[in-house]
Amino acid sequence: MRRLSLAWTAAAAVLLTLALAAGSLWLGGFNPLSAGAAMMRGAFGSSSAILSITMVRAVPLILTGLAVALAFRAGVWNIGAEGQLYAGAVAAVWVGLIGGDLPWFVLVPLVLTSAGVAGALWSAIPALMRVRLGVGEVITTILMNFVGIYLAAFMVVGPLQEARGVFNQTDPIADAARLPLLVEGTRLHLGFLLAVMLGVGMWATLRWTRIGFEIRAVGAAPGAARVAGMISPDRVVLISFLASGAIAGLAGGVEVAGVTFALYEGLSPGWGYTAIAVALLGGLHPIAVIGTGLLFGALEGGAAEMQRAAGIPSSWVTAVEALVILSVLAVDQVRRRQRA
Amino acid sequence: MSEVLARLDGIVRRFGPVTALDGADLEVHAGEVHGVLGENGAGKSTLLSILGGMLRTDAGTLTLRGAAVTLRSPRDAWANGIGLVHQHFKLVRRLSVLENLALGRRDASRGWRLPLGEVRERAAELMARVGLSVDLHAMVEDLGVGDRQRVEILKALLREPALLILDEPTAVLTPREVERLLTLLRSLAADGRAVVLVTHKLDEALSISDHVTVLRQGRTVLSAGRSEVDAEVLTKAMVGAELPGGSVRGPRSAATSGEVVARLRDVRAMGSTGVEALRGVSLEIRRGEIVGIAGVEGNGQRELALVLAGRAEAASGEVEIPSGTGFIPQDRTSEGLALDFDLVENVALAVHRDGFFHSGLRLKWGEIGKRAEQVRTVFAVQAANTRVRAGTLSGGNQQRLVVGRELALATDLLVAENPTRGLDVVATDFVHRQMQDAVVAGREADGSAAAVVLISTDLDEVLALSDRLFVMVRSRLTEVPADQRTRTGVGAIMLGGVTASDDGA
Repeated sequence: MRRLSLAWTAAAAVLLTLALAAGSLWLGGFNPLSAGAAMMRGAFGSSSAILSITMVRAVPLILTGLAVALAFRAGVWNIGAEGQLYAGAVAAVWVGLIGGDLPWFVLVPLVLTSAGVAGALWSAIPALMRVRLGVGEVITTILMNFVGIYLAAFMVVGPLQEARGVFNQTDPIADAARLPLLVEGTRLHLGFLLAVMLGVGMWATLRWTRIGFEIRAVGAAPGAARVAGMISPDRVVLISFLASGAIAGLAGGVEVAGVTFALYEGLSPGWGYTAIAVALLGGLHPIAVIGTGLLFGALEGGAAEMQRAAGIPSSWVTAVEALVILSVLAVDQVRRRQRA
Repeated sequence: MSEVLARLDGIVRRFGPVTALDGADLEVHAGEVHGVLGENGAGKSTLLSILGGMLRTDAGTLTLRGAAVTLRSPRDAWANGIGLVHQHFKLVRRLSVLENLALGRRDASRGWRLPLGEVRERAAELMARVGLSVDLHAMVEDLGVGDRQRVEILKALLREPALLILDEPTAVLTPREVERLLTLLRSLAADGRAVVLVTHKLDEALSISDHVTVLRQGRTVLSAGRSEVDAEVLTKAMVGAELPGGSVRGPRSAATSGEVVARLRDVRAMGSTGVEALRGVSLEIRRGEIVGIAGVEGNGQRELALVLAGRAEAASGEVEIPSGTGFIPQDRTSEGLALDFDLVENVALAVHRDGFFHSGLRLKWGEIGKRAEQVRTVFAVQAANTRVRAGTLSGGNQQRLVVGRELALATDLLVAENPTRGLDVVATDFVHRQMQDAVVAGREADGSAAAVVLISTDLDEVLALSDRLFVMVRSRLTEVPADQRTRTGVGAIMLGGVTASDDGA
């Protein structure tokens, strides 16, 4: 019953978004149908579009979406996936630059682990502020985003800038630090498999394990979790907050080790924020988040073709992503009203 | 006969597929106290919300002083002289009492200024007149439930309504405050106002009402003068049948000789506000007995319950509590259950740490599901299956779920905190019987019965059920001597007028 209503909400939200998006295009003097066709072509038009564009773009969205979904399930409003992602990217690049002498089967896990640890540490600051001091995490995580973004910006003009010192970017990481490809001849890398496995693992954890159940209980009813369940909400909040930060950090590490092989300013076009839409549209269900991550990957992947063929600025996609959040919230609210 | 102030005729109100009111009538005369009785879900609150302008009707008419009216908003109702005191307090927590009283009172002000001075004067005068006392400068969030209710009543009275509606107003008051309130209501009626009192307490309705109306399943099933009815008639009308046979067991005077299952010695503990809530409490609880703890809310019962149930640590003193403890918290919707979880998950909430229900990190959902199904059938929880969300159950069925779940865990001790608050007659009776069964079961056989600690603000409940009775006043426990086990006797102890030995310790 829960799954049915989840699917219904998502479908209604997508329809509402499509209507609003088409309306905005029409108002702007564009043909919504040809725009949609261009977008579909860009995202799904060929096997290389699917494997090298849509699925590759989906990886950071799925990972940050999972990070946000996990936190939200625990009642932790982690809006800081963007900063945590950058913290992970900085750590991954650093390890990838200095660890070139190590064999790949040591260096790749090391790169990814350091990215996860860095993301967790980045989230530890707002997490501890919430648990120990009662400071609301919405504001602290947002603020930590700026610190993370500018930390990365500083790194690429400072300590980690390329040896030539021309561009604001790092040198490429060692070959042994790069993720292997899943399909030869495409850009699809191991990170996609990791993201899917992580989603399935998170679903199983929430469904079957005690800590997973405790996370859901604290998120659904903190009072009942504490009194009826004898769960320590603080402990559960801390665990899920750090795990969420680690997953977002991993997203940064995977992007660096799988796609860009270097760190530069603006590495992320705001995945950490888009992640909120990905997670909400997926009803905070890990398996569904894999699907919505792919959907958003297609959206962003198709935007380039849409700009080329129909002349619609690709930044319009950002507006559509925002519309998704608004639609999900609106549909969800209507559903709650009807139930009450 | 006095003037008919308000008249509701054939009121129908639906919420989606649910028909809350299905032809309800109510006729209120000026100068009377009118008791409205009914079980939970009978439609009392809906009917009052309609009279208070908060809900529209789907059919039926409302007549005020002979003229048909449509109330579009609470403001409309106020303008027509109808004042409503809510069951769930609608106060702004972050404002002071005075500011809350001044809210929405633009009528009393000149220009844009908040009429704090005028409201303070009128409130002080009113409090002196009716014998209510509240600190006007206290923040609402710092007040206990009882004080918040007094604020609500004061807020309503400030507008001098011709018709005052009170929804379950006495639940959290001390006996003396109840007396005062009822006296106040009587004087308001004598003054020519009408007072509508919604309650599920029969004796309360019988003691104060001039007229009684009973609702059942959205219909008015009885409307009669006080002199024409008695408790039995009203119960039958509310329930639609008689209660299951056999009366609730009375208290046993002799101390039971079961072994001690829990022991507190000179326990001190802090409350949530950082004030010392237990100040040297000592208590021994034996198998096979129901220990009743009476008292006005906010005297440390909450902390006592949490410590006994192992939910909170004592700051000092000795605490020995058993492992087989069940706990029925006072607020089933926020502390007993996760409303978005289904029955199975709600059972898991309480048992997921029990070794039987998990292996390693993995939960055994199969076993938990079996336990949930057992609770559902044995405790007659009205739910189609165990996959139903707890939030969709009625209050009584939610409590059956909590009671069933916790009793299964309470092999040694059950701690129940206001377990029947807000429940109808049938559900209350059910909970009482279950607690009694818990202490009786096995007592005769092998002395393995559990013990029950019943903490309740409902005096009649603790008087009827307890083998030993304590009163909690200002963070201390006082045992009630056998010759003082009456409403007045206990009431005197509650007010601090202790006649017997001080501190039960």
